[in-house]
Amino acid sequence: MKQRDIQHLYWRSGFGATPSQITVLSNKDRRQIVDALFLESAEPTILEVDTSEIDHFTGQLLLKNKSQRREFRVASTKKLKEFNALWVHRLMVSNETLREKMTLFWVNHFACRDNNIFHVQQFNNTIRAHALDNFGDFVKAISKEAAMLKYLNNKQNRKQRPNENFARELMELFTLGEGHYTENDIKESARAFTGYNHNFEGEFMLKMKEHDYEFKTFFGHTGRYDGDDIIDIILEEKQCARFICEKIYSYFVNEVVHQEHVEELTEVFYNDYDIASLMRHLFMSDWFYSESNIGSKIKSPIEFIVGINKTVPVTFKNDIDIIKIQKLLGQTLLNPPNVAGWKGGKNWIDSNTIMIRLKLPSVLLANARISVTEKGEFEDPYEKYYYKKKKNTFAKVRVDWKSFEQEFIYSTFDDIKSQLLIPNLSQGTKTYLETLSKSSKRDFCVQLMSLPEYQMC
Amino acid sequence: MDRRHFLKQSTLASSLFFVPSFVKAFENLSASSLGYKRLVVIQLSGGNDGLNTIIPFRNDDYYRYRPKIAISKPDIIKATDELGFHASLLPLKKLYDKGHVTIINNVGYPNPNRSHFRATDIWQTASDANQYLQTGWIGRYLDTYGNEPYNAIEIDDSLSLALKGETTNGIAAKNPQVLFKTSQDPYFKNVLKYYQDEHLSEHNLGYLYKTMIAAESSATYIFEKHKTATSKQTYPNNAFSNQLKTTAGLISSGIETKVFYSSLGGFDTHANQLNSQSRLLEIYAEGIDVFVEDLKQQGTFNDTLIVTFSEFGRRVKQNAANGTDHGAASNLFIIGNQLKTPGFYNDLASLSDLDDNGDLKYTIDFRSVYATVLDKWLAVEDQTILNSSFPKLKFL
Repeated sequence: MKQRDIQHLYWRSGFGATPSQITVLSNKDRRQIVDALFLESAEPTILEVDTSEIDHFTGQLLLKNKSQRREFRVASTKKLKEFNALWVHRLMVSNETLREKMTLFWVNHFACRDNNIFHVQQFNNTIRAHALDNFGDFVKAISKEAAMLKYLNNKQNRKQRPNENFARELMELFTLGEGHYTENDIKESARAFTGYNHNFEGEFMLKMKEHDYEFKTFFGHTGRYDGDDIIDIILEEKQCARFICEKIYSYFVNEVVHQEHVEELTEVFYNDYDIASLMRHLFMSDWFYSESNIGSKIKSPIEFIVGINKTVPVTFKNDIDIIKIQKLLGQTLLNPPNVAGWKGGKNWIDSNTIMIRLKLPSVLLANARISVTEKGEFEDPYEKYYYKKKKNTFAKVRVDWKSFEQEFIYSTFDDIKSQLLIPNLSQGTKTYLETLSKSSKRDFCVQLMSLPEYQMC
Repeated sequence: MDRRHFLKQSTLASSLFFVPSFVKAFENLSASSLGYKRLVVIQLSGGNDGLNTIIPFRNDDYYRYRPKIAISKPDIIKATDELGFHASLLPLKKLYDKGHVTIINNVGYPNPNRSHFRATDIWQTASDANQYLQTGWIGRYLDTYGNEPYNAIEIDDSLSLALKGETTNGIAAKNPQVLFKTSQDPYFKNVLKYYQDEHLSEHNLGYLYKTMIAAESSATYIFEKHKTATSKQTYPNNAFSNQLKTTAGLISSGIETKVFYSSLGGFDTHANQLNSQSRLLEIYAEGIDVFVEDLKQQGTFNDTLIVTFSEFGRRVKQNAANGTDHGAASNLFIIGNQLKTPGFYNDLASLSDLDDNGDLKYTIDFRSVYATVLDKWLAVEDQTILNSSFPKLKFL
């Protein structure tokens, strides 16, 4: 496979390929390389922080004791930050890149936010576990996750007083897309999800007294449906496969959707809703490697940060710094803006984020200064809110230039350029690159990473 | 879009743009005589307790629900027979006495959300409670009526969803000098020297270059304008007042910015709220006091409207920790010199008829406030921006 195609595949299915990876892979053909991607991601590896210090909290305890509740909340918030940093670290070092990339896609599809570390962790690992499996099972699992039951108020969905929030988003955002169902479909399906609940441990429970066991009429079918039945009926709609494929296409291939290619994917996906088969078909397609798709995507903040790290490993001394960078760039993991998720694409970029993006490589890798502070959080008490805002040191990092130099030991400056910059360069950019000093590979790397072209993948 | 409206907007904009920047006095004059109206939005982040801000001091329910944290009568600055200001708000009360303040009670929306994140999201995107939008209401204003990022400035380091549009975003500028320095960074500036038009035609990469160009010119423009700012006022030394000082400086420079956005945080008073809220309200009121005085002296108060909101009010009943939990509808302040209804716009909703959570029921949709400001103050089509029609209020 050609170097450029390998890079493209590796950027879209992960976070880029290193020179040594490319050397190894360039002797293999497309099928071998794609097979290897799936093989590496065959089994999910659970992501967990050490929660031993809060494992003693029980539902009973918190129910009775308000100060314990507060204590738990504070501890949980702290653990969530650890979890965020651990996740980013996983993205930087894991070999299961395809599964992790799919996980990032799905957490933005089933966007959810919660402040209970146990429930967040469980939700996150459910996504990771189903990321390449059957989509129907996936949606059913999501509908029973504690974090989602809370986030979209399905916990408050009772026979006596239905809450339609989850049912609506299930169809609008998770499966069909707006305009492919009626208000009555929402009403009827909401009844099927009544009584869904969970315990403190995050296990799903059906509260039978709150569940509506009567007949529901949904998409022309009538029965004593529960939530799983509703999901099965939705899956029968080809629009569901199409909706997911469109989203997959715009995330993994190109935001400018090619309708014929999406239809092709839809045919594959509608067959059995197997996510792995869908992705394999996509990565095996000739059109995936067409010139118009290569380097056409704006990296998400996470892709940007992880990508830098794959080239020059950076260790953050404090978890809080990696979270700060995510905030400034506009994508904090575990914290999507709302259930619609991050819009992505051009939406990542505004006057401020573009300046930070171009400056960040030199700040992280070359000790340049950056003077920005993050927004405070709602929960912060007054002093902390302002203390945070006043703090002016940026991130404390350890940069592993040795790894970089080992990786690039045989690379010419031209090689480094084609390694780091994916899109075709205009004459102007080429001329600019000529002006850069080529005395140090390190400096050259930082300079390349500070280009707008480096924002693309 | 209404073409005539658009022309009016853009000619106004360009006529201001070409005013030579060294003739500052003249510029000020032109800004005010042209009636270049500006909006300043302030978010009290964390959910300000509206009931202890504007206090129903004759209401027995109020005292019954809040045995430990109700504000006692002697500490209240009475405004009407029913409602009075928190003692920390004395400067605001003085503005109120001069007819510069309208207080709108019970502002909210149907099926209120009590999560900070979601509620802020709803206020910033102007969505329904069950609707998820990915653009902010000021961002959508920029989409239709803005040309440059600096048409809406957030006095902060990063941009809130409120200022993000489909095609146009505002810019965050906490410190114009720092922003300018960042934009002049060699890594940033040098690339632009070599950019070519062919870049601009490329879909996403072109967008990056366009944004860089706009960022650089906005940062430079804001910095140049800000340099000319003068103020005889001494602001209190805190982050919030610094935001207001920057805002006043930019306004008096004649900058072509329609909306300024800033925030004061820390209002999430679940425990021991009396002291912390009192200090926050003091910071708010003292800052606003100097800000208004500054604008008056610079001759720009007439054309500046200040809207202060919080993502929600708090539970009527206090909690066991002498604080309050997340609530729903609350009050909102409009400050300006052209108010049609100075004073209280409406009565406080009943404290004996609360919603199922024990929160105030809303009587005025916050989007009616936005619609009124958009239509009557910024003179644009509110429906285009809010995606829906909301009844206008009479405060403007």
